[in-house]
Amino acid sequence: MRAENYQQINHPPSHAFELNFGPNHPGIEGNYALQVQVEGDTVVQARADGGYLHRGFEKLMEQRLWIQNIALVPRICVPDPSPMEVCYSMAVEQIAGIEVPERAQWIRVMQLELSRIAAHLFTFGGHAATTGMYSPMFWGVADRDLILDLFEEFTGGRIYSIYNLPGGVRRELPEGFLQRVTDTLDYIESRLPDYDDLFFKNRVFIKRAKGVGVTEQAMALEYGVTGPNLRAAGLPFDVRRDDPYLVYEQLEFEVPTEEAGDAWARTLVRRSELIESIRIVRQVVAALPDIGGPLRTPIPNPLAWRVPAGESYARVESSKGELAYYVVSDGSEKPWRVHVRGPSSMHAVQVLEELVKGGRIEDVAQTMFSLDACPPEVDR
Amino acid sequence: MSRVFDELTNFARARSLFILHYCTGCGAIELPPVMTSRFDMERLGVSPMVTPRQADILLVTGYVSIKTLKRVMLTYEQMGSPKYVIGICSCTVNGGMYWQSYATAKRLDEYMPVDLYIAGCMPRPEAVISGLRELMKKIEQGEANSWKEYYRNYDYYLGNQQHLFGDQWQTPVDVIGEAEHYGLVGDGTRGEHTALLEQVQHPLKPLEMRL
Ligand code: SF4
Repeated sequence: MRAENYQQINHPPSHAFELNFGPNHPGIEGNYALQVQVEGDTVVQARADGGYLHRGFEKLMEQRLWIQNIALVPRICVPDPSPMEVCYSMAVEQIAGIEVPERAQWIRVMQLELSRIAAHLFTFGGHAATTGMYSPMFWGVADRDLILDLFEEFTGGRIYSIYNLPGGVRRELPEGFLQRVTDTLDYIESRLPDYDDLFFKNRVFIKRAKGVGVTEQAMALEYGVTGPNLRAAGLPFDVRRDDPYLVYEQLEFEVPTEEAGDAWARTLVRRSELIESIRIVRQVVAALPDIGGPLRTPIPNPLAWRVPAGESYARVESSKGELAYYVVSDGSEKPWRVHVRGPSSMHAVQVLEELVKGGRIEDVAQTMFSLDACPPEVDR
Repeated sequence: MSRVFDELTNFARARSLFILHYCTGCGAIELPPVMTSRFDMERLGVSPMVTPRQADILLVTGYVSIKTLKRVMLTYEQMGSPKYVIGICSCTVNGGMYWQSYATAKRLDEYMPVDLYIAGCMPRPEAVISGLRELMKKIEQGEANSWKEYYRNYDYYLGNQQHLFGDQWQTPVDVIGEAEHYGLVGDGTRGEHTALLEQVQHPLKPLEMRL
């Protein structure tokens, strides 16, 4: 630092100051920043500062073939990439009028739900760390790794699976895979009481999280918040149930809700969702051996595939909320326009700014993690 | 005598490395597994650090958008020498997936010298661990000297930064002064770009520090 660069800063007369929370900060989720104005340790004003992860996805997708985009889309949301590729494939299938074979639909459901379990475990870990509990963080990351092992086995990739195509899925499941899925789920389920003791029912956690970052239902709806954050405010809206896609109609599951709308309620909703996801995967595992048939409907030469002109809107329930793709084709080899409705951009910018206002500075990180914000998807 | 000391310090340096915790891109998602129980980088003496001034390794985990790159540069210059840069992911090598994106910087080594790349999209935790071990080996043999290159060729790096961020680009760090302090002024330290910097340079106001 040059001596002449030292500047006497005229501090405001009170104890108010401004804090840059991120992008390089252990309490922030990903590469994201908040400019927080603090008085004492109360936040009076917060401004979200995104764009650090902007890559121009929607523009990039217009310059690539339909099939190349499959490799691109999972990068939009790194902790929960599978819904991205499934949703994009569904949108393309709608335009091209492709029917997906039943077996592929079941496998897709399994992929989506496993991804949800992994994402929720990761969020628990992050949330625990921001409340000062590091053991649940280690557990969450380690247990998520078991799911990643499953992903690696049946898709070939730990994080980005790139397993779907418009028309179906790429590969058959390996032999004995369903048994290993059951084993892993058994293990994760047997861990839940430990998680309860250490984290969910921990008095420290309850004291820290209760009443922090409350989203009223009306406010959540106004901002377009979906997913666990909306359900924690008492509205049981779930795309899987209310606008079923794939084979969710044939599956049995509950849509858990909570009333409080605070950080604690959001985490409890995620916990219940994790259990529901395990239940869904178990049903898929039970059903899959009886469902034969092909894995995908063949598409024409993918390198010169012209999707007929048209537009489509496909939506799925990702771990963060409703994820949707609006795809327009003008009949050429590349999409004409792709728009991604990312769930996080709804709750990670304005809602986050609202929620941290009036709270305490140490709850900022917690609020962000309890909302399960996903910066790469906000910036895209 | 000084050789003995050098070897000793290199030996010690290689065994106590602090990684600056800055997740620039999607490769950062593999770092929690690396840090925690399953792959456990602490058994190598590597652990995360939250502030740049105390960190040894700058881990650039993936694509750097131009907005991020400014922060990365600022962070890099704040770190105390000797410092090491690892580029994780293909995106830092040549742009990777985003080779035609308008928003990302394609090659990291145009803006700062890189000691080691870990290629892959994204590299597995094992790859990250083996990359760290490779770096430790290099440090022990005294080969991880990229930070000296930054001082010797400051003009080149500054030129690329100015090209990307505009002619007004400046950071609060006096790199040339540091180079003189370390005795690392080379042919490439001063040049037309540093001359430009000297022209536009002005004391930064607190607000400008936000970039
Ligand atoms: S190389 Fe792949 S995983 Fe790494 S930052 Fe680039 S796109 Fe992401």
